[in-house]
Amino acid sequence: MQAFFTVNTITELICLSICLFCLFRDKDIYWRSFMIYLFLVCAVEFTGIYLRLLHKSNYELYTYFLVIECTMVSCFFYRLYRKYHFKPSRLFSWLGLFMSIYGLELYTNHFSNFAYKTAAVMSVVFVVASLYYYMLILRDEYFRKLESYPPFWIVNGILFFYFGSTACNVFFDYLMQDKITSLGLSVRYVTFNILNVILYSCWSYAFICRYRQRN
Amino acid sequence: MQISSKELVLLITITTFIFLIAPIFLIGYIFLYNKKKARHAEEKETLKKTFELELLKSQVEVQEHIMQTIASDLHDNIGQLLSLTSMTLSSIKADHLREEKINTASELTQRAIRELRQLSKMMNGQELIKKGLGTAIAYELEWLKRGLTYEVRFKETMPGPIPEHADKELILFRLFQEILSNIIRHAKATRIDIELDQKDGQLLLMVRDNGKGFIWEEKLRNSDGLGLFNLQKRTSMMDGTFHIDSIPGTGTEINVSIPYG
Repeated sequence: MQAFFTVNTITELICLSICLFCLFRDKDIYWRSFMIYLFLVCAVEFTGIYLRLLHKSNYELYTYFLVIECTMVSCFFYRLYRKYHFKPSRLFSWLGLFMSIYGLELYTNHFSNFAYKTAAVMSVVFVVASLYYYMLILRDEYFRKLESYPPFWIVNGILFFYFGSTACNVFFDYLMQDKITSLGLSVRYVTFNILNVILYSCWSYAFICRYRQRN
Repeated sequence: MQISSKELVLLITITTFIFLIAPIFLIGYIFLYNKKKARHAEEKETLKKTFELELLKSQVEVQEHIMQTIASDLHDNIGQLLSLTSMTLSSIKADHLREEKINTASELTQRAIRELRQLSKMMNGQELIKKGLGTAIAYELEWLKRGLTYEVRFKETMPGPIPEHADKELILFRLFQEILSNIIRHAKATRIDIELDQKDGQLLLMVRDNGKGFIWEEKLRNSDGLGLFNLQKRTSMMDGTFHIDSIPGTGTEINVSIPYG
């Protein structure tokens, strides 16, 4: 049982609890969808640990989850860009491109490994999307108090996470080869633990800001 | 490819450091830029407010100038003509029946001259304000009391006018005149209470009537409360507050407060 409670799962569970508390009565469907997404994140994480305990590979699970992750984050970015007259066709084009790269990678590695190249491409795109969002809010004449502006903190979390994970995804094979001797954990695992804590802390703060704004 | 633990730790440190420090700097920069944007917006707002205040002052000055011209025209031209008429009437010698009619006409002319002088004085705001806002309001109310339609009460607890703030007093006096005019035209009130007070660096004016009242939000929605909205805008331009408390069927209370002192 103890194996299920790692830094990752605890962080995700805390974030899900905050999300449920803060966004349960939210009227915006994009914000409410975070509840389902974080529930899926927790479910995938627990299933991944369970599969690992059974000495079965769990990369397939994370590979399939990549599609949900990409759709969720892309749709949220689309929601943010929408008020700047961003066309829906761009969202569909990106999702189409993502699915093509994803399908091609799965086909080339014969479904035998995590789609890390697709994840690397996705990370780069999300980093660019975050930077583009910063540019839009800086150019916007309307002043926002960014310290408590929920979308800004969601994007901050995304930037930290995908900026950090870009390197891990690029050096995926290289990093998986060895373990830190002192901790007995892979470099990738440690890095993702740090990134997850940052991501979900930013998101939790964004949910709290959203809740306070609504009330 | 085999890599040593030392190299891996170094890789983690470098990767984590670069990929975490870079967004921190970026977000920090965005915060700074945003603060700069806020300051710029504040400055813009202040400039806009100053411009609007200057515009309001000019408008008031132009209005005052026009009223002064009309007042002196009334006093000097029409007043003189009426005086001449009165003198002519008093110089006519006629029989008993005609004398009575001439005397009546002469009295009417005298009354017209008095009313005209009072009206001319009232129109000349700067002249009225010279003796203080309280005196100007009292003078205005004297004019209203004569109609016998309203029971008017005026309470003044203002220590004394500040000459540097004559402009503000004049604007407040014009606001008061407009509020009073609104009560006469729309409120169907029988009683009007006015209080003028000065405390904590604020000049406070309260006007309360027992008229039919209204719903402020409804007036705004129907674009019916433009006069009141303008009064509110003019008060806020002087960094003051304008508060309306109205209950349909009971009456309205308007509180105006402007910085003074």
